[in-house]
Amino acid sequence: MEIRLSSILLAAALLSGCSWFHRGEKPQNQVVAEDTDTDPSIIEPQVTRREVKTPKIKAKDFEIGAYFGALSIQDFGVNPVYGVRLAYHVSEDVFFEGFLGTSKAGTTSLEDEFPDITVVSNAGRRFTYYDLDLGYNVLPGEVFIGRGRAFNSQLYVTVGMGDVKFAETDQFALNVGLGERLLITDWLALHLDVRDHIFETSLTGRTKNVDNIEATLGLTTFF
Amino acid sequence: MRRLLAYALLLQALMVTLSFGAEHPLELIVTAPFLEMHSGPGRGYPVVYVIGRDETVTVLYSRTDWYKVRAPRGEEGWARRADLAATVLPSGAPAPIPPYPDFTAHRFEVGAGYGVYNHENLVTAYGDFGLTNSIDIEGVIEQALGTLDNRVIATIGLRHTFIPEWKWVSPTAGIGTGYQHIVDKEPPAPRQSDNQLAYVSLGVRGFITRRFMWRADWRHYVVFNNLNTYEDLEEWKFGLAVFF
Repeated sequence: MEIRLSSILLAAALLSGCSWFHRGEKPQNQVVAEDTDTDPSIIEPQVTRREVKTPKIKAKDFEIGAYFGALSIQDFGVNPVYGVRLAYHVSEDVFFEGFLGTSKAGTTSLEDEFPDITVVSNAGRRFTYYDLDLGYNVLPGEVFIGRGRAFNSQLYVTVGMGDVKFAETDQFALNVGLGERLLITDWLALHLDVRDHIFETSLTGRTKNVDNIEATLGLTTFF
Repeated sequence: MRRLLAYALLLQALMVTLSFGAEHPLELIVTAPFLEMHSGPGRGYPVVYVIGRDETVTVLYSRTDWYKVRAPRGEEGWARRADLAATVLPSGAPAPIPPYPDFTAHRFEVGAGYGVYNHENLVTAYGDFGLTNSIDIEGVIEQALGTLDNRVIATIGLRHTFIPEWKWVSPTAGIGTGYQHIVDKEPPAPRQSDNQLAYVSLGVRGFITRRFMWRADWRHYVVFNNLNTYEDLEEWKFGLAVFF
């Protein structure tokens, strides 16, 4: 054992000695390179490397759906309303949302009392709107139904603006809303919303701001 | 019983279609002592399950900063982006959780906002594609709603960001052309309701957080008409946008 060890040490010393003599002739790394060139490889790997494709993660940040409810058009009664909505969730708190809805106004009390008077033509009773909103999930949480079922939910507020077409003219409208999103599954949500479309009009005589409050029930899906 | 069988068959058919349509999901290995799974995609939702070190987590999809994941035994929940980014692929490579887009070098922008166009309330929406870090091509569609008339304006133009590296506030300038359609509300009716227009703009943009940003712009429009004159209009607007 001792002999083997000392012979290894001797060999190492000799090798370092050789390199000492070659000092200045050519750089050390060239010698090493020559060595690897002459060394024949025993096994030539013939296998081509398989390209492993990493699956992409699908982002489901969009929410699309439809809603139905009642719209109170100021001075024109409460009427059915329906529409479509599209939202993009920027973060767990903030989302952008767009609405497109339509309803048909009833008659004012003046028209009911005096049937000869027409405040708005029949075609002008169509109430259509679009909204561009910014939403914030203020109270995220869970809703319990019975003992064994819990649904994720978020109470949110929205603020935005858009256009209301009523009495055949377009008006700039501000809107504020409060809603509850109840996630039946992770991709299907039930919405309960109350929104107010505020705009200026002089349809019933003097110019004033009118509040048109709607309460709707909607169903959306994330994609 | 027959109904039950029918339901079972229907369910099976549905499962087959689902599994046929589904891609091979991403599988990651937990390297931290554990990975927490929340009951919902939000910071307040409670932790309902924990996946241990060296166990496999299957990533189903993402929503904002949260990832819907499945544990080895089939339990599902939501993992935080930062937690999932600490996992690795079975090959040992880091998990392919995409980083937030770099604000300086982002390519796409989509936004909306409020403004005033020719003393009228303005609802505006825009899309933007970055040709380079400092030059963007932007398309805007907007509706001006006033007491005398309503207008729909569509423009396309180039926008230059002088110092894109300035993150919070960075000045911009732009030039472009477009089209305006006027819907009259009060007489007299405009002599020409469809006009071509051109604009120059000055603006500011800034980063808010993650993929969220703000913009403010002032534009000077020159509206051409067939009366051999032109009309000067001004617009300012403020908007919020997301970038990709």
